[in-house]
Amino acid sequence: MNQLRRLVLVEWSGLAVAIVIGAAILSMLAPNFLTEFNIYVMLRSFCVALLVGFAQMVTLGVGQMNIAVGALGGLVAIAFGGMMEVYGLPILAAVPVALLIGAAGGLINGLLTVRTGINGFIITLATASAFTGINLGITESIPFYKMPPALVAFGEQRIGAFPYLLIAPVIVAALLGLFFARTVPGRQLLAYGGNAQAAELSGIPRERTIVMAHVLSGLLAAAAAILAVAQLGSAQPSIGSDWLLLSFAAPIIGGAALTGGHVSVLGTLFAVILIALIENGMVLAKVDPYWVQFLLGALILAAVWLNRWRAVRTGTA
Amino acid sequence: MDLAIENVSKSFPGVRALDGVSLNLKGGEIHALMGENGAGKSTLIKIITGVHRPDSGRVLLDGKPVEFPTPRAALAAGIGAVHQERNLIPRFSVGENIMLERLPVKGGLVDYEAVHREARRFLDMLDRGIDTRVEVRTLSVAQMQIVEIAKALSLEARVLLLDEPTASITEHETAALFTLLRKLKSEGVAIVFVSHKLEEVFAIADRVTVLRDGRIAAANEPMSEMTRQRLVTLMVGREERVAQIRARPSGASEVVLEARGLATSFGHRDVSFELHRGEILGLYGLVGAGRSELARTLFGGGEITGGELRVNGRPVRIASMHEALGRYRMGYISEDRKQEGLILMHSVRENIAITIWRKLAGALGLVAPRSEARAVMPFVKRLEVRTPSINQTVGNLSGGNQQKVSIAKWLAAEAQILVIDEPTVGIDIKTKTYIHELIGEIAAEGVSVLLISSDMPEMITLADRILVMHGFRIVGEVENDHRYETTSKAIMSRIHRVEETAA
Repeated sequence: MNQLRRLVLVEWSGLAVAIVIGAAILSMLAPNFLTEFNIYVMLRSFCVALLVGFAQMVTLGVGQMNIAVGALGGLVAIAFGGMMEVYGLPILAAVPVALLIGAAGGLINGLLTVRTGINGFIITLATASAFTGINLGITESIPFYKMPPALVAFGEQRIGAFPYLLIAPVIVAALLGLFFARTVPGRQLLAYGGNAQAAELSGIPRERTIVMAHVLSGLLAAAAAILAVAQLGSAQPSIGSDWLLLSFAAPIIGGAALTGGHVSVLGTLFAVILIALIENGMVLAKVDPYWVQFLLGALILAAVWLNRWRAVRTGTA
Repeated sequence: MDLAIENVSKSFPGVRALDGVSLNLKGGEIHALMGENGAGKSTLIKIITGVHRPDSGRVLLDGKPVEFPTPRAALAAGIGAVHQERNLIPRFSVGENIMLERLPVKGGLVDYEAVHREARRFLDMLDRGIDTRVEVRTLSVAQMQIVEIAKALSLEARVLLLDEPTASITEHETAALFTLLRKLKSEGVAIVFVSHKLEEVFAIADRVTVLRDGRIAAANEPMSEMTRQRLVTLMVGREERVAQIRARPSGASEVVLEARGLATSFGHRDVSFELHRGEILGLYGLVGAGRSELARTLFGGGEITGGELRVNGRPVRIASMHEALGRYRMGYISEDRKQEGLILMHSVRENIAITIWRKLAGALGLVAPRSEARAVMPFVKRLEVRTPSINQTVGNLSGGNQQKVSIAKWLAAEAQILVIDEPTVGIDIKTKTYIHELIGEIAAEGVSVLLISSDMPEMITLADRILVMHGFRIVGEVENDHRYETTSKAIMSRIHRVEETAA
């Protein structure tokens, strides 16, 4: 009883229940839902989405938002593709450079935020437009198609139901979990998001903490962009254009506080699974897409409501 | 370590907060910093801790001029502080909050065993009852205050600045704190102590500096040569007055609020009391006794799991504040006026009118600012709320005037039963006396008051009867004879009796 109670009271329990119910319904509606190939397809779409969710999660943690997640991702994607196609850079050289570009974009967001004193939401709204402008200026909306075969293979190959692509988000999730739970910079980031004034009076460096969150966010957006290129097999300028909503939905459904100070790596992971499940179901069950949209909304509400109920029960609302 | 302030001035837009203030703090002394709200005490502390920069003047540490661009720099120089505002991370555990600025690390990761062990060490000096592993947001205001003090102590600073550390804790914890402060003093720590409670200042301080309107009214005077009367005159600029509350015959009028064997989801057991019309019923208890939780339960903030609550003789189940006011004319003045009592960014007018918007709404359901103003004005006048206009943002008023606003809104709503939680925390003497008189007045007009307070003199000034709460039970009732010695002894004996039986 006590064990069960504790299980119900953990943050992601609502999501886990929604996932189980959703999967059960889908496997009844669509016999090919539980096939190895379908699970592979789902996991593949899950990889980029999770990193996108994480990229927003770190800025939410410090009490900020990064509207430029998708725009920066798009810029990194075409830079990554361009380096390989135009300059013939090997993959192992292009990946770190791409990550560096993402981090630099985050650094710009962070520095502008702390130096101007303008809210990060506004700053990243502006830089998002700038990043997209650079992206389209370079590419003129034409994708880079000639990706190295090894990269394309990495994006497609699998062991059973598990795509190679999954390696990156799994490692990132583990590292982020450790970062927020057990490292001093991670704790400082959440402390600042939880109560900025108190954190500052406790000697936590304000500027460094905010900048760090933005750099981390840029880094994660870049990682998502690299995976997106691998998954698509080409560097599309449109990569990232549909990330923004997802980037907020995943961490918030996963239990992050919009006001900062609290995030959940596991919760975000479950939220992305739920979203992937629903998108997959839409295709498989040949349900009218409008109704699947409706189902997504209902499930999100149910999950969030359960989290809320849990918070009230434990007296931490 | 010695700390000196030389001729420091600081202005904020429209206010000269400090004007040529000097202060001399020696290692191994406890230096009281006194003054009414708005006198500049907190500003001075914030300058020493690097939160604000002075416009002119210097801070000297051991004779050497220092400048602290950030709080981090002041901490590094060995200056620790408990600020007046709450400065804890709500989602973090008690232990992590205490150790926040120097989390112990093992192999690159935070060592939580060490965090809790270290935090426990400092917390135990004040209160063994607080678990270091629970999240701060689940604590009561008083417990948070204790965590703040433990955090400041854990810095093992050479200069310790305490801005109203005892504002919301009881005499019991205050005594523990004082024992600790004396020990630190003997180890050579320089301590600045800010409090509105004169008894405390006379009990603990060696010297005193008094600020009035941002200027020095008395500097570095030995406490032994100070009298209570003179200190108050220095602070207020005139002589002190104690609220005279008219004695009322208790139990004569009908019962308006009654609890019978109440049990709650917070853990209260067998709570019974009767509140009569026009009575001030006190509810006293140490930190963690369950007073505020009981108040919250009355308004639907907790679940009633047993027993019964009656309003005007009829059993009720109140689900929300909205229902309590609308149906039973009950109001609640929170102990935490900044978080729960007021909407700081809204105007005085809106903050008072919030309870009567429905009444003020016109034909189309619209509320005209003019009708708000008309309804609100009499209360602003009656309570002598000092504000340039009723359109002033409440956050810009002093603590005392904020409290007047949070009382005014319930008077405007014509509440008949008022639960008042710690009405004068952090409020200066003049306003405190005023608020006491006001509570006496509204009770005389027939409003029934359940007064929750950990300020013993306040309880004894105001209450007709005093319920003593301990461990989420009512452990006794004391008939108040308004004499401090006898009543406080009677109250404490009830608590000690229970503690002995438990031990």
